[in-house]
Amino acid sequence: MTLLVAAGLRGGYDGRDVVHGVDLEVRERTCTAILGPNGAGKSTLLRLLAGVLPGTGGSVELLGRPLASWRRREIARTLALVPQQVQLAFPLTVREVVEQGRAPHLGPWRPAGPHDHEAVVTALTRVGLAGAGGRPVQRLSGGERQRVLLARALATEARLLLLDEPAAGLDVRHQLAFVETLRELQADGVASVVVLHDWNLALQLADQVLVLRGGSSYASGTPAAVLTETLFRQVFGVEVEIIRPTAGTPVIVARRQA
Amino acid sequence: MSGRADAGLAAVLVVALAGGLLLGGPGASPGQALSVLVGQGDPDATAAVLGVRLPRLVLALAVGAALALAGAALQSLLANPLADPFLLGISGGGAAAATLAFAALPAAAIGLVPAAAMLGAAASTGMVWWMARGPLGPSPTRMLLAGVAVNAATSAVILAILALAPSPRLAGALAITLGSFAAASPEAAWWLAPYVAAPLLVLLYHGRDLGLLALGEESAAGLGVEVAIVRRRVFLAAAALCGGAVAFAGVIGFVGLITPHLCRLAWGFSPRRLFPRTALAGAALTALGDLAARSLLAPAELPVGVVTAVIGVPFFVALLRRSP
Repeated sequence: MTLLVAAGLRGGYDGRDVVHGVDLEVRERTCTAILGPNGAGKSTLLRLLAGVLPGTGGSVELLGRPLASWRRREIARTLALVPQQVQLAFPLTVREVVEQGRAPHLGPWRPAGPHDHEAVVTALTRVGLAGAGGRPVQRLSGGERQRVLLARALATEARLLLLDEPAAGLDVRHQLAFVETLRELQADGVASVVVLHDWNLALQLADQVLVLRGGSSYASGTPAAVLTETLFRQVFGVEVEIIRPTAGTPVIVARRQA
Repeated sequence: MSGRADAGLAAVLVVALAGGLLLGGPGASPGQALSVLVGQGDPDATAAVLGVRLPRLVLALAVGAALALAGAALQSLLANPLADPFLLGISGGGAAAATLAFAALPAAAIGLVPAAAMLGAAASTGMVWWMARGPLGPSPTRMLLAGVAVNAATSAVILAILALAPSPRLAGALAITLGSFAAASPEAAWWLAPYVAAPLLVLLYHGRDLGLLALGEESAAGLGVEVAIVRRRVFLAAAALCGGAVAFAGVIGFVGLITPHLCRLAWGFSPRRLFPRTALAGAALTALGDLAARSLLAPAELPVGVVTAVIGVPFFVALLRRSP
């Protein structure tokens, strides 16, 4: 089943488009990695897909309906955006932040019920923060904060996660845990679109990759077909060696600037 | 923690109510005032307690609630603990308009001063809004800087009016700048009620949204908040609260900045839980401040804003240092 379709999507800031006509289709139980050099428009594309930044052209359809016709709360129950960071001006606890993920289900008056608490506990457990609910988020490390934001997205029980560099601050153990979590979610029917800088993580995770250059789609398809030595030279300006073991995922090693 | 904090708040409120009615001001000793409250007071004491102290107490409670709520709402809305009706120039705009009206209007039209204050607060909110608008909508940083600009402008207007005001009007115009409950009347308290009640409902309705906005607008939009709508409504609510407060009591600083912080330390972050308690705490703090303003240098009166700062700052510093 198709969850999200973007066609000719354009948008940006200050009257200047950063994303120029990107097409993307996201099906359930899949993981799509968005790759590209700095400034390629990856985060902007994610914002456009989530509808938090209005596009200047093209279209996004969520479950077959134009995104613009959805109310924001409906979107938030279906699709969860995990930004790279949030403003932490106030000393919220981990649990208070993760509980925010239930807001789209509660509306203005309804208090949180047993299912809401359960969703929060499940989300905290999934990211390995079950015992950390009372800790102030301001005092957590960058990687821990990213896990808190992932847990907040999981607490929404959305069918589609849009993640902006979720693994950037994670140590190796938590990167592996993150991969495992996404796979479990995938098995539960959840799809994800993940902005990544780590090509090897993309190889491990993604069913399809979309490579952006200068705000446009440069290539898309399965990781094995798209991520070639030529692409890395042309898009990222680096010479890479792709080691293809007889069994298992290939490994990309950057050798030098092209 | 929450239960004990609730009990503490209730106790402070009782002290503020009792203090406001039994102490503070000529006309009735505490014993005479108590007799009035149980229905056995003499006429002079009854007039002092029910005609003077009660309206003044009600006005102080309402203004304190309004300022504290406005501060709490703006801090969440702008994801900035320093946001405050004063920093954003909302109170300043109200005060400038009220001062101008007081100095310029003929005596018969002096009843229009409150309306002018509310218009001034709304106008300065609009100016901050207009100046803060950027390509991605109004940003919190631009908004605070716009508040600095509006404050500078309103201060200049107030100073010019005070310098040029005819001398019989100077004292009244100055009272608006300093902040005082001396002119309280039962009518004033009734007039102010809708300016507190209606915004309170708006803020409670958007409490959850404001909690989400405290982590930034993009984060809130991602969790289902219609950011533009909520922002507009909360700004209008804050303008009504501040305009009402300035109109009836002049500029009283500090309550809007400190009260929400104190309440967050006691009750945590959730605006839904926080807002009603912030309103009550602001009310109690301001009523106690007014009591002190009347009592400390009696028969002279201090500006209540000075007293609220003197009471609140040590509490704030102590609680802040103890917080995690």
